[in-house]
Formats: sequence, structure tokens, C-alpha cells
Amino acid sequence: MPSYAPFATHDAPARPAEPATAHVPQLDVAGELLALLRDTGTEPRPDTQLEALTLAVAADLPVILWGEPGIGKTAALTQLAASLELPLTTVIASVHEPSDFSGLPIVGDDPAEQGVPMAPPDWAVRLVRAGRGLLFLDELSTAAPAVQAALLRLVLERRIGSLRLPPEVRIVAAANPRSSAADGWELSPPLANRFVHLQWAHDHEVVVRGLGGTWPRATLPRLSPDALPQAVEFARRAVCGLLSARPALVHRLPSNEARRGGPWPSPRTWDMTLSLTAFATAAGSSREVLSALVRGTVGDGPGLELLASLDRMDLPDPELLLADPASAVLPERGDLRQAALDGVVAAVRNRPERPRWDAAWELLVRALETGAPDLVVVPATTLASLRQEDWDVPAAIEQLAGVVSLSRRADRAAARTAAAAQARR
Amino acid sequence: MTAGTQESRRTPAAPLPLDVDKLFAARLHAARVRPYLATALFALHTVESRRVPTMAVDRHWRCYVSPAFVAATPVEELAGVWVHEISHLLRDHHGRGDRVARERGLTGPGERLRMNIAADCEINDDVFGEGLARPEGAVDPRGLGLPEGELMEDYLRQFRLGPRTQDLAWLDCGSGADGLEREWDLGPEGAHGLSAQQQDAVRFRVAQGITGRPGDAPQGWQRWAEEAFHPPQAWRELLGAAVRSAASGPGTGQDYTYGRPSRRSAGVPGAVLPSLRRRPPRVTVIIDTSGSVSDAELGSALLEVAAISRSVGGRRDLVSVLSCDAAAGVAHPLCRAEGIALIGGGGTDLRSGFARALRARPRPDVVVVLTDGQTPWPAARPACRTVVGLFPRRHSRGSWSEDDPDYVPDSPPAWARTVEIGSSCG
Repeated sequence: MPSYAPFATHDAPARPAEPATAHVPQLDVAGELLALLRDTGTEPRPDTQLEALTLAVAADLPVILWGEPGIGKTAALTQLAASLELPLTTVIASVHEPSDFSGLPIVGDDPAEQGVPMAPPDWAVRLVRAGRGLLFLDELSTAAPAVQAALLRLVLERRIGSLRLPPEVRIVAAANPRSSAADGWELSPPLANRFVHLQWAHDHEVVVRGLGGTWPRATLPRLSPDALPQAVEFARRAVCGLLSARPALVHRLPSNEARRGGPWPSPRTWDMTLSLTAFATAAGSSREVLSALVRGTVGDGPGLELLASLDRMDLPDPELLLADPASAVLPERGDLRQAALDGVVAAVRNRPERPRWDAAWELLVRALETGAPDLVVVPATTLASLRQEDWDVPAAIEQLAGVVSLSRRADRAAARTAAAAQARR
Repeated sequence: MTAGTQESRRTPAAPLPLDVDKLFAARLHAARVRPYLATALFALHTVESRRVPTMAVDRHWRCYVSPAFVAATPVEELAGVWVHEISHLLRDHHGRGDRVARERGLTGPGERLRMNIAADCEINDDVFGEGLARPEGAVDPRGLGLPEGELMEDYLRQFRLGPRTQDLAWLDCGSGADGLEREWDLGPEGAHGLSAQQQDAVRFRVAQGITGRPGDAPQGWQRWAEEAFHPPQAWRELLGAAVRSAASGPGTGQDYTYGRPSRRSAGVPGAVLPSLRRRPPRVTVIIDTSGSVSDAELGSALLEVAAISRSVGGRRDLVSVLSCDAAAGVAHPLCRAEGIALIGGGGTDLRSGFARALRARPRPDVVVVLTDGQTPWPAARPACRTVVGLFPRRHSRGSWSEDDPDYVPDSPPAWARTVEIGSSCG
């Protein structure tokens, strides 16, 4: 810098300033820049994936995270370990040999007499000594088959050589989906059946905001101690209710290629579903979270059936509605409302008594006043057909006259459509 | 049509109250003629809106209704519009629209309008009729000069905005149809929206209703119901996974062996540790060269298999190709993808192909069969892993069935892993 040269001898304050920048080691400047880059804030944001993972880990079930490489699975595990206050041990499966997981043989003086002990690796010893921790088995799908076999023993039996992991240690595995896995490993159906499968995907909005300096901070579910007995009761009722009505759902091997290596229903996975439902209920988690867990355990179809039957369990009890029609609260959503009304009519059909019949009409009038009229048509028609000879028409029916005209209007539209179709032919 | 609606058609500017009875009579009619859609129809939350041109849905399953449109449209046509709008939501057009936009880099309202038109084409070709009137001005593929029965993604490739779509510019089914937020949308915070899980639950119940009584629903809905929760995966990925897992499973490819001591053995004197060894898999591809498989199909599948075998570490000389019709041809090592002579045509008997492939020394680790399945299969499981790439032949569409409509070929046996090739997303 020639322009500074003339001042250098006269201007004393300028002199230390320049060498100061020149003498600071470049790595320190780089460190400053890194510190600035890492200075990011967080904001609370509900995170369904992380909440589901937390519950599955809390329920002590083996979890497998499926996600493309570089999507933030490790970052999520770090956050989870911090929130559960567990030390995190990450083991990259693909750089290990099978003997690292099944134990290294140590030949003693007299192997024939004393046997050859299988010595565990140091991370396992440290984990056992700590007594608790989160063990993260990364890159499960890129390890060689023999390594995977050894790892699965670790995941399922919690054994490393002669060492047994304490129950306080929780295990999570991660794998790349088979489309992006270089070695194309996939779970065979018996193994797939032992895991809770969680799909890990990135949220575009979260990534952009995070790179801009604000990462999300998930509020993790907390189990409420008071809710535990109800949660167990609810979960048992939900799962048993579904399985007694649909015995075919208890065990169903995946049949087609697209579903291989994924979750499928079996008594084992239903048992897992039961625990997960109880955990999600006790934590007050949303249906989204429960849906991810249940579908990741028994598969999409059976999982959705369970969720649908939970929706039905949420419907108001027809007997309670009939007991007090004046203060009945019907569901807001149309399809659920109609299901509730159908339930009421079915209850009257099961035990046809005059007061119940009248109460049902009152309920229909209430439904008409508070919601869409077309929902009332089918229950009203069915209820009218339940009338017995000596029952008088209740006054409430007059208020339902609009429903009849609505129904006629739909009939006329149907007739016109049919006539038009006839004419076109 | 009543006199009242005629009048209102002439004076659309006057602010009309929403004719709730008419709107819901139409929904009732729709639910009666399409009972399998009733759950979904009733789950929609209606919102009166004067900014919507006709009826529109958003991604949270709300339905925005223009009072003027309801007044001007007969009940039976309104019913058609109800079914049309619910179809957008059931078929997840907003999610698929977003995906297509990301994949193909489509931006701007013009592209979203094209998505809306393409989605309408997918719905309208088989949703009307059978008691449901077609609303006036409904877009259909034939009007745009396009074939029927395709998916929104396919239609999107086939037309541009131009003179033919000029009168469709007013068309607007809302953000539920194309994923673009509208000014009238109440957004995720607004009341009575359905969460993603609730939407899935409704879809599931509708799909169950259709698969439970398949006779009642048109083919488009049946196809939707089959795929609602298991969208067809790209065959390349499935075939790749099947070949890779066959070629790298225990016994082939790379694994530990006790045949050679491990380098770690020095630390553990007296113990034998396994070492990692690599044995590139031998892959034999049997190609069905009967007349029923087209060259283009074969070419793409063959290139795929060759690329996969290379990626799992197979050397070129370990991949051989065998063309097979009634008598198996000669096995060629795969030197250049374009250099394979495909001899044949006519009938197929894959049993001779298998016999020849297994006679080779050394034996192949994996046999990949590319066929349309119109062939007898070996009775017993061969002594190697088998992957079948199957070119599906739909009984309704293919011309082959015209000669002998009753002929149903054997499906690939259970011991082979079967991947259907050439389904819609490829």
C-alpha cells in the first residue's frame, strides 16, 4: 500500500492499526467469521417428525429413520439427546467391521478351558459405564451385510459381544431410502417388522429460514403423570376395538414390491402401536404425530383404519345425546355430524321406545338449526320409517319440512338429469 | 330451470343472498348419485365468498361459493360442480401441482392456470354421466384435442395456453386445484380447515368405499382408489433396488469371508478374523424378444439393468444378455449397450431361456428377466436370485387380447421379485 508509506513515519496512531490487522493470524479471523455464521437464533415451531421420534424413543422401541443423506437426521438426534438429557453416541456403521459389534475375540491362555471372550469396543464400554445415553447408528444402509447382521443383534437384543446395554440406553438407527442407497440394502420383512419406521424429510421453509439465521426449536412432548392410566385404557380400547372388528388386520405380510422393507401389521407391531398410542395420548400429542407413528408401525392401510376408528371413538355417545337433546353438542364437520346422527338413529332402532324416538327428532331439529340441512335427510328418512302405529307425529317434525323440500328438490334434479341423458341417447 | 334463475342470470351484479337450500340440495343429489364420495362431500366446509368467480376449494378443504353462481346454475349442474371440486381435493391436485412445479421449474399464474386446466381434464373425462349432469363450460381433454384417461402431469406436457384455451382464462377452482394461494383463501389459521391427517382419513374412507364395491365407480376412480395411499413408484428405482439387493445379498458381491485372515488379526494372535472381500456379481439378463414387447421398452429397460449392474461393481464382462423367444438365443457378454443382437419375435418360452442361463459356467448370481409375462415359467425355483421386469399389458387397452380375449397368461412366480416397468411415472 504505497499511499500509506508517507504517513507511516509521522502518524503514530496509524502505525499500530495497520500491523494489527497484518499480525492477527488468519485462522483467528476465520474463527471470527465462523462465530458470526454460527450466531443463529431459534424460534419455537411445532415439529411433527421430531415429536414422533421423541415419543418412539421414550417408548423404548427401535426406530429407523429413513431419509436422504444430508437432510438433518443427525442434527435432529442432537436436539433430541439434549432435550432428553442423554449423552449422544454416534456410530457410523459403514466404517466398522462386524467384529466391532459382535465383539473382538481375545484369546487367553487356555481357550479350550476358558473360552474366547468377545471384547466390546470402547464406545460400548463407555456407554455401559455411563448407564444411560442415546446410541445413534448412522448409515445403516451403506454397511456391508455382515455388519448389518451384527448391528441388528445390537438393536434388537441390545448386546455387543459379552456386554449388555442398560435399559436406560435408547437406540435409533438411520438409513437412506433404497432409491438412493448405493448398496441397495433393504430390510427383509421380519426385520422391518421390528422397527418403527419414520420418514425424515426436510421442510423447505424451515431450511430457508434456518439458513437465514433462525432455526426452529421444537417443543417436545412431555408425558403428564396424571394421564397415564387413562392413556393405557384409551390405547387398549382403540386397538382392541379395531382388531376385534377386523381380524384380517392382525397379520398381513407385505405382498408387492413397492411395500417391501416397510412397516406391516403383525401382533408384534400392533403391540408397538398400542404403546405408541398410549404414549401419544399421555403426552397430549396431535393426531398428526400419532398418524406418523401408527402408519410407521403397522403400515398405511391398517394405520389409517386405526385412526378412522379413533375418529369414531371421538364421536359423542348416542345414548348421551338422546338423554339430553336440548344441550347436545354435535360435531362441526359434516361427515362426522352425519355419522353421529346415524349413530343416534341406529340406537333408536336397537331399542325403539317412544321417548327415545321423540328425543331423536329433537336432535335432528337441532342439527338442522346448527348446520347444513342435507346432512339431516338420510337420518330423518330412516327415523320416520321407525315409527310405530300408536306413536303420534311429534311437533318437531314440522320444523323439518325444509328438509323434505330439500330432498324433493334433489329428486327433481335427479329426474331432470335422467331425462336429459335419455334425450341425448 | 326456473324463472327465478333466468332473471338472476340477467342481473348478476345485484348482491344476492346465498341460496343455501339450493346449494345443499345439489350436494344431496351429488351424494345420492355418488355414494362413495359422500364422506368427502360432507366433510367440506362451505364459505360464502363474493370474490370467487364460481366455486373454488382451498388446500384445507374449504369450499368457497359465489352466491351469484349458485343463483345462476341449475341444481343438477351444481351437483356436478360439487363432485368436480371434491375430486380436486381427493386427488391431491394442489400437492401434485406443487411437486410438478418444483420438478419442472414452472412458475407464475399462467403455469398454475395450465395446471388447473390439466387437473380439470383428468377429472372431467369420466366424472360426469351416470346420473350426474355435466356443468356448462366444463373443460375436457377432447375439447383441447388431447387423449382421454391420462393424469394431470401427463396433460400438462401436452398443451400450451393459446387460442384453444382462451375462453378458459376465467376458470378458477382455487388453491385446492393448483396449489397457488388465492386472495380469498382463509389460510391455515382460518376456521374449519382439515389437517393433513384428517384429509388422509377422509381420502382413506372414500378409497375404501370404492374398493369395497368396485362395480359402482368409474375406472378413473378405481385407479385412484388403488393408488391413493400407494402411489406407483418409479419403476427404475424399484428395479434398481431389486437388482442391487439381489446382486449384493449374502453370498454375492461384497461380504466378509474367513477365506483370508483380516489385517486386524495381527492384534489378536491365535484368533481368525474375517476380512472384507469382494466378488463382483455375475448378472444374466434374459430378454423376451417376442413380438409383444416393443424395442423402445426393451432398450430403456436394458440400459437400466446394465447401469445398475455396473453401479453394484459388476464388470462389463460379467453381465451377459440372452435373447429368448420360443428357443433361447446365444448369451452375449455385454460389451456395448447398442451392440446386442436381439434375435427373435413370435411366441416366447422363458423356460428355455432360464435353462440356457443356468447352464453357463460359472453360474450367474442374478438372473434378470425382461418380459411382458406372456409365457410359461419354470416350475421350480432356479438356483439363483431372480428379478422380473414386467411390461404390464392391460387387458382393456392392449391390442393383443383381441385375437384371444380369454387367454390369461401365468403371472410371474412367487420366487421371483417382480417389478412392473413403464408405469406412468418413469
